Amino acid sequence: MKRIAAYIVPVALFAASCTKQPQASQQTTDTATTTTETAPITFDANTAFGPNKIVELQNPQSNKVIIKLMFKNGSMSDPKGKEGLTYTTAQMIANSGTKNMTITQIKDKIYPWAAGYGAGTDKEVTTFTFVVHRDFLNDFYPIVRGLMLEPAFAEDDFKRVISNQQNFVDQVIRASSDEEYSKKALEDLLFRGTNYQHVVEGTSASVKNITLEDVKNHWRNAFTRNNVMIGVAGNYSADFLNKLKADVAQLSEVTPKIPAAGQPNKPNGVQVEIIKKNDALGSAIFTGTPMPVTRSADDFAALMVANSFLGEHRKSYGKLYDKIRTTRSMNYGDYSYIEWYDNGGSFQLPNPGVPRTSNYFALWIRPVQIGEGLKQQYPELKDITVGHAHFALRLAMREVDNLIKNGMTQAEFELTRKFLRSYMKLYAQTEEKQLGFMMDSRFYGREDYLKEMYQLLANLTVDQVNQAVKKYWDIQNMFVTIVTDDSEAEPLKQALLSNTPSPMSYSNLVKEGLPKEVLAEDDIIANYKLNVKDVKIVDSKDTFK
Amino acid sequence: MKNKIVALLLLLLFAVSMVMAQGTQKDKILPYPIHQKQLPNGLNVVTVPYNSPGIAAFYIVVRAGSREEVEKGKTGFAHFFEHMMFRGTDKYSKEAYGDIMKEMGAAANANTSIDRTVYHMTGNADMLDKMFEIEADRFQNLKYSVHDFKTEAGAVKGEYTKNSASPYQQLYEKLVSTAFTKHTYAHTTMGFFEDVVDMPNQYDYSLTFFDRFYRPEYTTIVVVGDVTPDKVNTLAQQYFGNWKPGSYKPNIATEPKQTATRYAHVPQQGFPPYLTLAFKGPAFSDKGKDLPALSILSTILFSQNSELYRKLVVQEQKARFIGGGPQFSRDPNLISFSASVVNANDLQYVKDEMMRVLNDAKTKPIDAKKIEETKTRIKYSFAMSMDSPDAIANSLAQYIWLSGNPESINNMYAVFDTITAKDLMDAAKKYISPATLTVGTIAPAEKSPVK
Repeated sequence: MKRIAAYIVPVALFAASCTKQPQASQQTTDTATTTTETAPITFDANTAFGPNKIVELQNPQSNKVIIKLMFKNGSMSDPKGKEGLTYTTAQMIANSGTKNMTITQIKDKIYPWAAGYGAGTDKEVTTFTFVVHRDFLNDFYPIVRGLMLEPAFAEDDFKRVISNQQNFVDQVIRASSDEEYSKKALEDLLFRGTNYQHVVEGTSASVKNITLEDVKNHWRNAFTRNNVMIGVAGNYSADFLNKLKADVAQLSEVTPKIPAAGQPNKPNGVQVEIIKKNDALGSAIFTGTPMPVTRSADDFAALMVANSFLGEHRKSYGKLYDKIRTTRSMNYGDYSYIEWYDNGGSFQLPNPGVPRTSNYFALWIRPVQIGEGLKQQYPELKDITVGHAHFALRLAMREVDNLIKNGMTQAEFELTRKFLRSYMKLYAQTEEKQLGFMMDSRFYGREDYLKEMYQLLANLTVDQVNQAVKKYWDIQNMFVTIVTDDSEAEPLKQALLSNTPSPMSYSNLVKEGLPKEVLAEDDIIANYKLNVKDVKIVDSKDTFK
Repeated sequence: MKNKIVALLLLLLFAVSMVMAQGTQKDKILPYPIHQKQLPNGLNVVTVPYNSPGIAAFYIVVRAGSREEVEKGKTGFAHFFEHMMFRGTDKYSKEAYGDIMKEMGAAANANTSIDRTVYHMTGNADMLDKMFEIEADRFQNLKYSVHDFKTEAGAVKGEYTKNSASPYQQLYEKLVSTAFTKHTYAHTTMGFFEDVVDMPNQYDYSLTFFDRFYRPEYTTIVVVGDVTPDKVNTLAQQYFGNWKPGSYKPNIATEPKQTATRYAHVPQQGFPPYLTLAFKGPAFSDKGKDLPALSILSTILFSQNSELYRKLVVQEQKARFIGGGPQFSRDPNLISFSASVVNANDLQYVKDEMMRVLNDAKTKPIDAKKIEETKTRIKYSFAMSMDSPDAIANSLAQYIWLSGNPESINNMYAVFDTITAKDLMDAAKKYISPATLTVGTIAPAEKSPVK
C-alpha cells in the first residue's frame, strides 16, 4: 500500500466509498434528469451494510491477514459547503493516532513488522484496509481497534492533513496529469449540481471550511456500526473474527441518513467544455453519457462484451485503440468504460473499492497532438489551424455509432466473450483483491460478481449484446471535456461549433504509406457530423471551484 | 499499451523497499526454489512453481534498455522497439497476434526501463504451450513494414505527450541529463523529444537494433505459477532452441567523476515546490555491501518514522513528504532523496536539514536496534508482497536484469543481514558529498532557489 500517494500527497489509495450522512440533504432531486426510461435491476446498496454484514476469505496457507472495513459513506454525503469532509475524516483515521498512541508511536511500533494501513474514499464508500503478517496479528490488532473505536483526531495532525488536501485541490489536480484532469472535469460536468459533482477531495473553497469538530462529528454520525461491512482474508482464527466483530459492533450507534446518489445530467446534444492551460503538449479528451446499468443488473454482462470489443482498458484489441492508435498513430491509447475505473493511467487491471450506483458510459481518448506542436514538427503541416482532437473525437463517436447501428458479428462476439471469461479471473490474483471484489459484489447485491458474470457471459447471445448497446448507449447526447493548450482552445471551439470538416493532418511520413481504405474512411470521419450544441472554454484556474 | 515506461522517479524511491526482501526457505529470502536451465544457445530459463491453481506468469526479460542507446540521435529506441515487437511476423500478423492474445484472455504487456525491456503475460497455465509459441515466433521472426514502423512512432510521441504534463517528469528528465554527461543514463527511457519526433526515419536502425539485442544471450525467460520446471524447459527448448546467438556488445561510456554540485531546475507556478538531492552511487552488486547499506541507511533516515520525517513533516509541517534511496541499476547511478515542500521559501531550509542528517550519518553510529528493526521490516515487507505469480516473476525479473542471475535476490538478502552500524557510516562517507551532488528543484522562481 502507500507508495505513489506520497508524491501527490492526498491521493487516496484505497478508494472506496459510499454514501450517507445526516446533513447532506435528501437528494435525488437536485440531479437534473436521468436517462432511465427502462428500469434495469437495481439494488439498494445500503442493505449490504450494517450489523453482521461480513465477507470472509479464510486461508490457512496465507502468511498474512487483511482486514477491510468498508463504510457506505463517501464524498456524496459531504455536507454542502464542506465538500471533502468524508475524505478528510478518513485521512484523519489513517494519519492521526489513537487515544493511547500518537501517529508517531504507531509508526514506530509497526515499523519492524512492515504492517500497513490506509484509507480510500470514493463517491459512495470509504474503505479502511489493514495488512499485517500473521506473526504480528495479535500485536497489531489493538492498533486497528484503537483507530476505529478511539481515534485521536489530534489538532496537529488535522493541520497537516487539511493542508495536504488543500494543496491537492488547489494545485496538484490541475497540474499533474491532463488525463486525470479531463476525467475529473467530465464528472464535474456530468454531475453538475448533484452530490456526485465534486472531486472526492473537495474544492478549493470547501476544504477551507472543514474544521476538526466537523471531522469528529462526521466520524460519529457517518461511520457507524449501521453502515459498515467487514471484510477479512488470510490466516486468522475464529476467535479473532469474533473479537473483530464484537469490536466493530461498538462503533457509534447512530443510523446514518444516506442521501440518494446524484444522477447524471442528461446532455442536450454534444456539450463540450474545453479547459485551457499553459504549455500543454496535447489535448486530453474524456466523453460520457448517462447509463443506468450497473453490476447489479444482468444486462451488465452484455455491456461488458460490447465495451470490451469497443475499447477494453489498456488493451490493443478494442476498435478505438486499433483505429486511433494502431492504424493512425494519433496517441498512446483509446478505451471505453461502462463503470468508474480508478486511476486507469496507472493500472492495467481494475482495482476494487470504488463501487457506485450512479453510472455513465465513457470514452477515454489519450492526449492527441495540438496544432502548434504539429506545425513545429512537420513543415508540411504549417498551414493547419487546429490539431487532432476534432478528428479523434469524430472517429471515436462514429465507432460507437457504428456499433449501435450495426452491432457485433457472431464471431466478434464469441472471441470477445471468450476473452472476458478468462481475463476476469485475473482481476483477483491476490487475497486482498479477492476480498475487495467480494465486498464490492455485496454492494451490488451479488454474492460473487466475478463468478456470476462468468456464468452470465456463458448464457449470453450476440443479439442480447446488440440490443443492450442500442438501448443504453447514445452518441447524440454526450458531455465532452478536453484539457488542452491555450493556443488550441479557440480554434478547436470554432471547429466543433461549426462542424467544420477536420481532415486528418498526417505527417508525410505516415501519409505516404496509408492504405486507401484508411484514407477513404478518413474522408468520412472528417465530415462526420457531431451533434454539437454547445462549446465553452474554461480557464484551468476556474475549474473545480 | 505495450509500452509504458516505468516511472523512474518512483522507482528511485521504491527501489529500496522492493529490493530487499526475504522469506523463509532456509536462509533465502525467496521461500520458493528457483529452477534454472541454460539452453546451449545461451538462453536462460527460470521456473518457480507456485501454488496458483490454473494461473501462470510468463515473463521475458531482455537486458537492453535506454542504457544500451549509445548512438547520438537514438535515445528512446529500446522503448520504441518494444512497441515494434507487437507489429507481427510472417506467421502471425499483428492482427493474428492480437486475436490469439485476445483468445487467451491473458493480461499481457511490456515495458522498458534503463537497463531492460520486459514482456509479460499472465494467464491460463494450460495455455503455456501457446504462450511459448507466439513469443518465440516474434522474438526470432519479427517482421514489420516501413509504414508500420513510421506509424508506431506516433504512438510513442503520444506517450511522451501524455507524460509531459507532469512537472515531476520534467524534473526527472532535467535531473538525469545534468547529473550524467557521458553515460547513457543521461537520457530517460522515453528519450529526448527531438529523437522521438525523428523516430519514423530510423527504420534501418531498427533492424540493427533487433539484430543486436533480441538474442538468446541477452534474454531470460521466467515462468512462475502452476507449472513444472520440466515442462517449461521442454517448451523452451522446443520453441527457442534454434534461436541463434549474436555477438554484439555495446560500448557504454563511463561517467567521468563529478567534482562540483550541479543544479537542475524546473520553474513552475501553481505547483507544490519539490526538492531532490541526487548523489552519485554504486552499480548493482549482489555481493558488495554498499547498496544494502545505503538502502538501510535511507530507510532509517527518511522513512515515515525517521527523526527527520517527524521534524519536517509531523512537527514543523514544512514538508508534505520526504523519502528516497539508491537506484538499483547495472552501472553506477543516483542515490536520490526528495521532499515535497509546503512553502518555496523553505526549500533551502529543507535541503540543509536533509544534508545535516546525511552528514551526521558519517560519524554518528546508528543504534543497532534500529538497524535490526529495519532488517526485519525489509524481510516481512518482502514476504507479504510475494503473493501472486506476477509479484514473484516481477521480483525475479528485476534481479535478472541487474545481474543476469535470479539467485541475486537471495544473495543480496544474505548481504543485508550482515550490515552493521559501521557499514552505514562507511557508505555515508563514501557517497554523500557535495562534489557528486545534483540538486533538483521545482519552484516558481526562474532559477534554482537552493544553494
